[in-house]
Amino acid sequence: MSTPAPRTGGMARAAAPWLLLLPAFALMTYAFILPIGSFLEYGFYRFERGRLIQDFTFATYRRFLFDPYYHAVILDTLKVAAIVTTIALAVGYPLAYGLWRLQSPALQRWFGLIIFSPVLVSVVVRSYGWTVLLADQGAVNWALMRAGLIGEPLELVYNLTGVVISLSHVFLPFVVFPIYAAMTRLDPSLREAAMDLGAGWWTTFRRVTLPLTLPGIVAAAQIAFTLALGALVTPALLGGGRVLVLPLQVYRATSEINWPFAAVGGLALLLMALVAVVLSNRLLRYAEP
Amino acid sequence: MHRRLPHPRHIALAAFCVAGALFILSPLAIVILTSFSATAYNVFPPQEYSLRWYETLAAQGAFYGAALRSVVLATATMAIALLIGTLASYALVKYALRGRDLIKGMLLAPIVLPNIVLGVALFIFFVRIGTVNSYPSLLITHVLVVTPFVVAITGAAFANFDWSTEEAAMDLGAGPVETFLRVVLPQVRAGVVMAGVFAWIISFDQVETTLFLVRPGQSTLPIEMFLYLQKWQDPTIAALSSILILAAGVVVVALSIAGRGRTPADIIKQQREGSG
Repeated sequence: MSTPAPRTGGMARAAAPWLLLLPAFALMTYAFILPIGSFLEYGFYRFERGRLIQDFTFATYRRFLFDPYYHAVILDTLKVAAIVTTIALAVGYPLAYGLWRLQSPALQRWFGLIIFSPVLVSVVVRSYGWTVLLADQGAVNWALMRAGLIGEPLELVYNLTGVVISLSHVFLPFVVFPIYAAMTRLDPSLREAAMDLGAGWWTTFRRVTLPLTLPGIVAAAQIAFTLALGALVTPALLGGGRVLVLPLQVYRATSEINWPFAAVGGLALLLMALVAVVLSNRLLRYAEP
Repeated sequence: MHRRLPHPRHIALAAFCVAGALFILSPLAIVILTSFSATAYNVFPPQEYSLRWYETLAAQGAFYGAALRSVVLATATMAIALLIGTLASYALVKYALRGRDLIKGMLLAPIVLPNIVLGVALFIFFVRIGTVNSYPSLLITHVLVVTPFVVAITGAAFANFDWSTEEAAMDLGAGPVETFLRVVLPQVRAGVVMAGVFAWIISFDQVETTLFLVRPGQSTLPIEMFLYLQKWQDPTIAALSSILILAAGVVVVALSIAGRGRTPADIIKQQREGSG
């Protein structure tokens, strides 16, 4: 006759997964859910004459939604993110393609490491590198003048151009690898079949490789776009006070104790990122073969 | 017979890849070059070379302290996040919990949030409960940022794990902790090590999330550099950056040796088999 398992043992077993998850839940509640909740609460307070006034009001939202200045800020933020995503994809796709087509494994490993290596260097260092490279007397202007392409140094830094170039560089690895991953998933026989049936290189690329790597492109675009929306260090160091994207406004508002504005601006950033994620997930569902 | 020349299309692709590699490495290379320049302003090519910026750097005590604090913080963050994240992903993969996808989605949510939003939200929250500027608050913030990455990476490793070996160990009388440490952990070691490396690097590079949390004179290295660069642009930062780039270079060479015989495709495939 078998004895039933002791009750406590069964309960302990059922509780085990929750016990293992408990530290993660505690962390998420204390350092994520509560702070975000309290943050959103501040959006309904107001800030007047340098003082925080805690009564329930939509005044901050109203100001943010109807002030043309903030429309321009939101538009600029979206514009920077869109341009950076486009450039990173335009540079990243051929690089991923090259990485995929490389025949020598050693060369492939080194090229992969070169593309990955900037991730290991602080974004502060990389942005600083671009300020040096793009300066009036920097290497890029020197090379362009040497080549006789320009007579006067171009203004490449402390404006939108510098921010866009530097951000595209910072996010490049996050674009190359999802696309590369999609390429390695591709069945090589499909391309061979297309070639055997007489399709030229361009037709094969356009009708086989590109559509089948679309999920990678969408994933890469989502990562680049959301990261670019939230970028602070690069616009602060390369914008020269002329590129006033939303993260910079949130940063400034926070230092000025204008927390209601920081909360509303932060919520706007969060919503833009969420829309990008939802949209790309929708696209992924269509693109998935 | 002579060898066929490569197709122009392949030459164009190779040229693009070389240009791409130059684009990727040039901001790092220029930093190293600038650090040896003799002048305080940026001129390319440098007119004279010297080690004066390394001497200036050596005299700047603030950076030593910041570097030490960052290393300690990243190491503590890595240890705590590995513990919390590995336990969570183990539970999520092993047990068919109700609402597993929802729980996983919640644990990964901080990745999607723009870092500046997270940083400001945590700052306001810590001010409100009166723990701003305390070391635990800084540490908790780093752990929160890093844990989702640990959950994702170790989750992939557990998905590859052969659970029957765990059962066998338990049947042979090993306790749950002993089984985990001696049977489970050795098999998922590669995933845990990778999660640890990522956790360390991500923690070391935090700026937006902790910009408001560090006390003046107590900041981490990237924040100290960021605040310095907003005031001055002399090559002292280039000298410091060069040292950081050198450290990253050592990591790259180590990765290359560790990955010998494997291509990036193998690594991605391994990850995918885990998560799929």
